[in-house]
Amino acid sequence: MRKRLLTMLVLGLILVPFAVSPAAAKTLKIGSMSPLTGPYAADGNDIKNGTLTAIEIFEEEGGIPGFDKIELYPQDTACDPKQAVAAANKLLNLEVVGVIGAYCSSSTIPASETLAEEDIPMITPASTNEQVTERGLPYMFRMCGRDDDQSKVAVQFIQESLNADSIFIVDDKTTYSQGLADGVEKECEKAGIKVLGRDHVNQGDKDFSALLTKAKSTGADVFYMSMQNHATGSLMTIQAKRLGLDAQILTQDANMHPNFIKVAKDAAEGVMVTFGYVDESTPEYKKYAKKFSAKYGEIGAYGTYAYDAATVLLKAIKESGSTDPEDIKAEIMKMDFQGASKMVKFRPNGDSGSNYIVFVIKNGEYVKYWDPAKGKL
Amino acid sequence: MIRECKKVLKPFVLGLLWLLALLWPLLGIHPDGTLSFANAFQVWLYIAAVAFVCVFLYVLNKSGNLDFAARPAAVLRDRVSEAAGRIPSKAWIGLLLGFALIYPQITGRYEQDVAINVLIYVCLGLGLNIVIGLAGMLDLGYIAFYGVGAYSYALLNTNFGISFWFSLPFAAVLAAIAGCIIGYPTLRMRGDYLAIVTLGFGEIVRLILNNWMTLTNGPNGILGIDPPSFYFLSFDGGLSFEHLYLKKLHYLYYIALFLAVFTIIAVRRLNFSRIGRAWESIREDETAAELMGVNTFLLKLLAYAMGAVFAGLAGAFFSARMRFVSPESFTFLESALVLAMVVLGGMASIPGIILGVMALIVLPEVFREFELYRMLAVGGAMTVMMVFKPRGLIPAKRVGTRSEEKEG
Amino acid sequence: MEYFIQQLINGITLGGVYALIALGYTMVYGVIQLINFAHGEFFAAGGYMGVILLAYMTGAGYLETHPFLCIAGAGVLTMAYTAFLAMGVERMAYKPLRYASRLSLLVSALGMSIFLSNGLMLTQGVFDKPYPSELTHGGFEIGPISVGYLQLIIVGMTAVLLVGLNILVFKTRIGMAMRATAQDKIMSSLVSISSNRIIALTFAIGAGLAACAGMMTGFYYGSVRYDMGFVPGIKAFAAAVLGGIGNITGAMLGGVIIGMVEVFGAAYISGQYKDVFAFIIMIAVLYFKPTGIMGENVDDTRV
Repeated sequence: MRKRLLTMLVLGLILVPFAVSPAAAKTLKIGSMSPLTGPYAADGNDIKNGTLTAIEIFEEEGGIPGFDKIELYPQDTACDPKQAVAAANKLLNLEVVGVIGAYCSSSTIPASETLAEEDIPMITPASTNEQVTERGLPYMFRMCGRDDDQSKVAVQFIQESLNADSIFIVDDKTTYSQGLADGVEKECEKAGIKVLGRDHVNQGDKDFSALLTKAKSTGADVFYMSMQNHATGSLMTIQAKRLGLDAQILTQDANMHPNFIKVAKDAAEGVMVTFGYVDESTPEYKKYAKKFSAKYGEIGAYGTYAYDAATVLLKAIKESGSTDPEDIKAEIMKMDFQGASKMVKFRPNGDSGSNYIVFVIKNGEYVKYWDPAKGKL
Repeated sequence: MIRECKKVLKPFVLGLLWLLALLWPLLGIHPDGTLSFANAFQVWLYIAAVAFVCVFLYVLNKSGNLDFAARPAAVLRDRVSEAAGRIPSKAWIGLLLGFALIYPQITGRYEQDVAINVLIYVCLGLGLNIVIGLAGMLDLGYIAFYGVGAYSYALLNTNFGISFWFSLPFAAVLAAIAGCIIGYPTLRMRGDYLAIVTLGFGEIVRLILNNWMTLTNGPNGILGIDPPSFYFLSFDGGLSFEHLYLKKLHYLYYIALFLAVFTIIAVRRLNFSRIGRAWESIREDETAAELMGVNTFLLKLLAYAMGAVFAGLAGAFFSARMRFVSPESFTFLESALVLAMVVLGGMASIPGIILGVMALIVLPEVFREFELYRMLAVGGAMTVMMVFKPRGLIPAKRVGTRSEEKEG
Repeated sequence: MEYFIQQLINGITLGGVYALIALGYTMVYGVIQLINFAHGEFFAAGGYMGVILLAYMTGAGYLETHPFLCIAGAGVLTMAYTAFLAMGVERMAYKPLRYASRLSLLVSALGMSIFLSNGLMLTQGVFDKPYPSELTHGGFEIGPISVGYLQLIIVGMTAVLLVGLNILVFKTRIGMAMRATAQDKIMSSLVSISSNRIIALTFAIGAGLAACAGMMTGFYYGSVRYDMGFVPGIKAFAAAVLGGIGNITGAMLGGVIIGMVEVFGAAYISGQYKDVFAFIIMIAVLYFKPTGIMGENVDDTRV
């Protein structure tokens, strides 16, 4: 018994020298939260690398007066709310002045509550659920689009371009996908499009034959697929084509991933995807793309958003001359410039607006197809 | 030493060759039609080197060659524990408790976060221990009770505004009811079927939590749960109650500490009571227990319910701390992790379980760079522990011995 | 009516896949009373091995020139690989615990399951790996009902393997040895049936069947992922228990039932609860008939 207690005491003492040593003075500390491991690791690493690119470009252009260097502390959330909260606590421990993250809406929401306890500004480059900015947290901002905008664009597309009048909606019961599917359902009802069926699958399911047979039997014009993971989306697409589903498959931004086409192959031809529009001809984008692809390779969409988010944060600190959250917020609200992904201008609740367009998969590639303002491209 | 070498040589070499034969196709066959050996060989060499070192040390130890270091170390350890033994164990417990009490004052947010996690899992591990270690029933859906507790507090708080302390008994009772509901059909089943049925129930609970939108808000989870709070009298402007929310992390730590200490004391008392002995008799030989007048049915149900109560309490605290619950936190993998903690530390042994919890929560945090290999290590450790030390790192002290069970 | 028939076809196909995995579970449980949680990972490993071999053959150009030979060859190699894996796992993780408590065996199996699926993830990556699909998309129509070639192949192969297994177990000497070991290990070792060898053989056959199911799943659904073994593994065990553990025909029947319950539950009630239906059916059957539909066939000396 005593031997055991001795062992336990020693082990307990091992816990103590955990405290991170204080960093050298005059370093500006920023944190990033994204899934660095697990199925979303590609996008998560894009977010980390986008932030690093922003820091690099900022330091090259003069850095921030009063600070010798800017340092990033990337944290792994693995799209798990528990880990996200732990990561937020770790960043608070490290005394960062701002956080870029997270990726999954289900991680961003609880982590932001933790960060709000210490009034640390948080800018998310990828969480699209409306709740992220609707809760009234004073220092929560969003760089990417919102799901209610995405669903509006999808339904507008269905009405104007596809001229369809019936739809079958499926989601996989995650915060993000279900929220989006609900939005589409509501907008369809408002627009007079008949929702012939609304069903769900669970994450990790593989067999959708029952569901797709049901969809086929309703004879809907459009099949809206709202998935968290493009792996599920690609499986569903394969089975849909095999079963002979004639409906036009429309899906959302999670299925905008090269692996989707790799897995679904020819079944993916003709599938349409809503995604945020990034104008690749702007000088901002070119500057970012050059730096990013030199160091990190292929550019992923979320890297661009993270780059803009980090630039916004650093700019706000520089312009206001302080790291106080109120000053940062005041500066962010004044911003109005062309970023790498879009025009950066924030609304009072922290959103920066969405610019969703529709892509189509043609010859194994994503091609821009339709814009809500201009129509077919 | 040569004898020990020869004994382990054949299985060791065979094992490594088997590993190579398995590893190479996974790493060496490429989709562009080429075959490579370099990568697979490299990984295999790493593993072989580590395994070789371990086996080498084992052989040395077995054959007595390490005695020049091992014997003085053993002597030192005996001397220290002898000296420590002169201090009564109550003092040790007091020292540990004192350390635990001042812990938040000397560490930062992150360490407190880790410590809170440790304390929650201690409650879970001890609760599961009642079902597995004391009553001998394998429950693979234990995390369902954790979920029930968490969601009960969440729903009671967001719908009716009931505060944390008043919700605790509700969470415990609801979890116990869930335990009885899940326990009732399974009590007629054999040990292995029990495992799969409890696993099924655990998944059913998670699917219901994820899909029943109107009750649980589905995958979005429940937001805006109040943290634990206290009412206390305030005298300015007349007698009134002031509602103080305990949001600061070290207050949460103390509440978690309180819950964990409560669980430890409760489990210890149960262990050494009539009920505990009845549970142990059911575990050892159910038919004999039945013959001796032990009401096995009721006691098994009670074991489930008691285990569920501790999980429910831990769950309520979990949702009060995260202020957000979602079904993603209650998967089978969590159940497997809690099981691993109980099994690795030592079933039915309280210090063992605490050690198991610390090992499985603190070590991954320390080795954050090897995050990818974390679950691999947990799985491998579970198997290795079962093969070499089935009673865990700190085995429970048994009253009496069994003839069939060999040591170690 | 066509809807019903189409769903029936879907159900039988899915049931066939579950039945193949369930056969492995049931055979292993029959001889050593172990729920081999790692069996789902044998299924996944088979799927992965298949895609690795097929991708290699595509890259080296063999697949275009001799398609059937390549697929058959890949199938045989995959089954051999998985059998080899299973025998090793049995030797390392289960044999030392053969006379220990049930709990230790189960925990060891769980540990192996986690270890193997993470091993697959680390060596093969977290993304889906696609199967060469040229062969998978064909089918024909009977009126409004579409039947895929692959669905026919799956049902056909399952039937063939079931018949083959029945012949092996009931008409050969090795089969008799397997049945004897399942019935009473100690006695059969007294009549010089090496239980170690028989157990290793049982594992090998079970894993081979699971690997076959894995490859067919890969073809049918188009891709494999490292965690694809877990849920089908549990459902297949539910199927084995439903049909009567240790009983081969029972496993087949159980697999088809669970597949149908899942498909019809999704078709007529809701897609989100289909796993729940499968589990509830299993629990209900176990409650009312604990030995399963067709009765058990296990070593009765261990209670």
